[in-house]
Amino acid sequence: MMHSLIQLSIVVLLLPLLSFVVLIFFNRRLPRMGDFVGVGMLGTAFALSFYIFWTVIVQAYDPAFRVAWDFTWIDFGTVPGVGPLQIKMGIVIDNLTAIMLAMVTLISFLVHLYSTGYMAGDKNYGRFFAYLGIFTFSMLGIVLSDNLFSIYIFWELVGLSSYLLIGFYFEKDSAADAQKKAFLTNRVGDIGMWLGILILYSQFHTFSYSEIFNNIAAGNFKMSTGWLTAAGVLLFMGCVGKSAQFPLHAWLPDAMEGPTPVSALIHAATMVAAGVYFVGRIFVLMTVDALHVVAFIGAFTAFMSATIAITQHDIKRVLAYSTVSQLGYMVLGLGVGAYSAALFHLLTHAFFKACLFLGSGAIIHAMHHEQDMRWMGGLRKNMPWTFATFSVATLALAGLPLTSGFMSKDAILAGAMGFAVTEGGGIFYLVPLLGFASAMMTAFYMGRQVWLVFFGESRTHLKPEEEHHHDHAHDAHHGHDDSHGSHDAHHGVHEVGWVMRLPLVILAALSTFIVFSPDPLDGARGWFMHLVPTPETVVKSPEKVPSHEGTLHRTTGGVLLAEAATDTEGALPASAHGENGGAHAAASGEGHGQSFSDPRQAELAHAAHAAHYPAIYLSSLMLAIGIGMALVVYAFRFINPEKTAHAIRPLYLYSFNKWYWDEIYDATVIRGSMLLSRILAWIDANLVDGIVNGVATLTRKFAFANGSFDKYVVDGLVNFTAFFVQKSGAVMRKIQTGKVQTYLLMVLVAIAGYFAYYLAQLLK
Amino acid sequence: MELFTAIGLNHFLTISAILFGLGLFAVMTRKNAIVILMGVELILNAANINFLAFSKYNGGMEGVMFSLFVIVLAAAEAAIALAIVINIFKTFKTVDVSSVDSMKE
Repeated sequence: MMHSLIQLSIVVLLLPLLSFVVLIFFNRRLPRMGDFVGVGMLGTAFALSFYIFWTVIVQAYDPAFRVAWDFTWIDFGTVPGVGPLQIKMGIVIDNLTAIMLAMVTLISFLVHLYSTGYMAGDKNYGRFFAYLGIFTFSMLGIVLSDNLFSIYIFWELVGLSSYLLIGFYFEKDSAADAQKKAFLTNRVGDIGMWLGILILYSQFHTFSYSEIFNNIAAGNFKMSTGWLTAAGVLLFMGCVGKSAQFPLHAWLPDAMEGPTPVSALIHAATMVAAGVYFVGRIFVLMTVDALHVVAFIGAFTAFMSATIAITQHDIKRVLAYSTVSQLGYMVLGLGVGAYSAALFHLLTHAFFKACLFLGSGAIIHAMHHEQDMRWMGGLRKNMPWTFATFSVATLALAGLPLTSGFMSKDAILAGAMGFAVTEGGGIFYLVPLLGFASAMMTAFYMGRQVWLVFFGESRTHLKPEEEHHHDHAHDAHHGHDDSHGSHDAHHGVHEVGWVMRLPLVILAALSTFIVFSPDPLDGARGWFMHLVPTPETVVKSPEKVPSHEGTLHRTTGGVLLAEAATDTEGALPASAHGENGGAHAAASGEGHGQSFSDPRQAELAHAAHAAHYPAIYLSSLMLAIGIGMALVVYAFRFINPEKTAHAIRPLYLYSFNKWYWDEIYDATVIRGSMLLSRILAWIDANLVDGIVNGVATLTRKFAFANGSFDKYVVDGLVNFTAFFVQKSGAVMRKIQTGKVQTYLLMVLVAIAGYFAYYLAQLLK
Repeated sequence: MELFTAIGLNHFLTISAILFGLGLFAVMTRKNAIVILMGVELILNAANINFLAFSKYNGGMEGVMFSLFVIVLAAAEAAIALAIVINIFKTFKTVDVSSVDSMKE
């Protein structure tokens, strides 16, 4: 019997697909190009999702809530060498799914609504909504999947819809290039992910998460732990591609060529977070080594993109790098074992980053497709709504207390500090260090952005003339806007309509602390961290040799006494006690101690909890420094940014040119691929074709020889026979006179000859 | 009877050979189809003389029977051959065999 929630979720899943099908075929025949279909379907989907959310989260309020349903999709029977092979499809609804479902449909709905304003007048208006529909369908598929196979299918589908939407203005070369880059870069990650899936499948012959986890927990993974680590890292590669982690981050900033609502929906809030969601789903099978890889990649990505975001001029590029940086945070959070915190950040980030992107879209729309922050300024008077919502979201991103971003970012940073302490310092301190540095830079570049865009005086007139025609390229996709040059742009800046304002307001409202937790300083008290607890790992931690003296004492009786004597800030009062091989994290009176049977997880949770307040102080300090510096530089202009940039020119250029990753990839991977392809083409053209041509030439030669033989010898014989017969016939013909008497004479002669012969014989 | 006893088998054979030679000569040299037929009759009759002579000197009746067959056959042959000659004449307006050569080449 199918659970009613499952039935509802299937309806939610299929509504956007229906919207896609209707719009892709009939958008030209429907009034308003059918935008009401998309908005209506998504509105309905959101309403149903919200019902699911309400039932699961608000009414059940059970951390262990889970309903699942599956069916056999393809049954291959018994495959030789493999055994019974079935591919199942299924849906699992737990708290995380319910939250993601509501989040995705809400943001998708708001983006649909917003797009009716932003995309108005576009010649492919209807198709845009169709693509949004297929994207939402695929994303919901990822969220609802209960196995690796179907998530992989939907994974590719979001890749496809992302590709279609990035290249929505495909008549622009830059957009076409960006969509190819995104697709190919993702492909690299997806290959890894598929290999990871195959490693697990080869062991358990199932794709289902729960079956795989149970099998690993039961010790059925027969290969060495190294293979399990490899599986984890390979699956993580899917996340690296989709969530734009280093070294596959380069596609996301270029993906900003897509329309801004798409950037908000796909490249900020949902699809790029799918990677984090996926790692969250498979979190329990990640070995410690795999998690270390995850943590370092996340930390490095967060830091690197934050440094790049500081110097970018394009309003969307700043946000894009900020997105990469925040995704780095989430990945870092997963890597350090702060599972709840990472997914919490996913949720909060989705709202405020969508708000920021939609806000930037409103600005771009109002500025007639001006995207360069150098030529903006003073917009707070013209666009008060946008200014207010953008500021709230900015503060959430920067991590000001009272915002949602503060809680989730703090939880991750606390986890990172706890991680560094638990792992015993050394290089592991790099993780929280990079995290805090990124937090500071986040505050700085967001302060810079808000100041450049909203404060001061309008700088539209400062724009150099030679850039105007470039600006027209941006306008090209909006036919009705072509008449607006940027000459008159600053006259016409006005607040956007309500369909674009409403989503901003809703998203800004969802960026405040009260939605998530009653305590503005502690996200762990909120419903999210309660309902999405860090799951028990199914991988046995390796026996840990205490590298930090006094941290761990292991006794022979299987009694584990863990005492996390931490000294990070001198403010971490902590001790974890465990018995009988299982550690019991000392539950603090506040009720957010979680029990883990895995000693390492218990230790991590405990250390993270202990690091909570230091993390708050430190991140607030970082926020203050970042915002302060932004104010000093851009508001009070104590420091001239241009002169500073000139003074540290190499560093500035390094950041401005995005660490030269594009150039490095161009010089290595792309050139390498091109070189390889040229070598292969040469081999193909000369060696393979050579062999083929050689065979052909040989055949031809042989055929000619054969032909000559046929012509001269065989035909010669035949012709000679014919010639001989003809000649002899010509001679013999003379005898055939047609006169009976001649013949008779010949008979007579013959007989006479015979008798003569006979007589001669007789006479002999 | 002296005369008859003086006449032996060889005489008959000689007569027969002369008759055959005349017939053959007629067949080979005449152009008129009728004359050729007459030559054929001579040849047949030469053969008849041969049969009868051998029959007479051999004592059996086979030669006599055979020559009777030959006479009958000669009659039939004359009828058929004359019919052919009439047809040839109808077609070619001549009975000259040297000009009836349309099957040549």
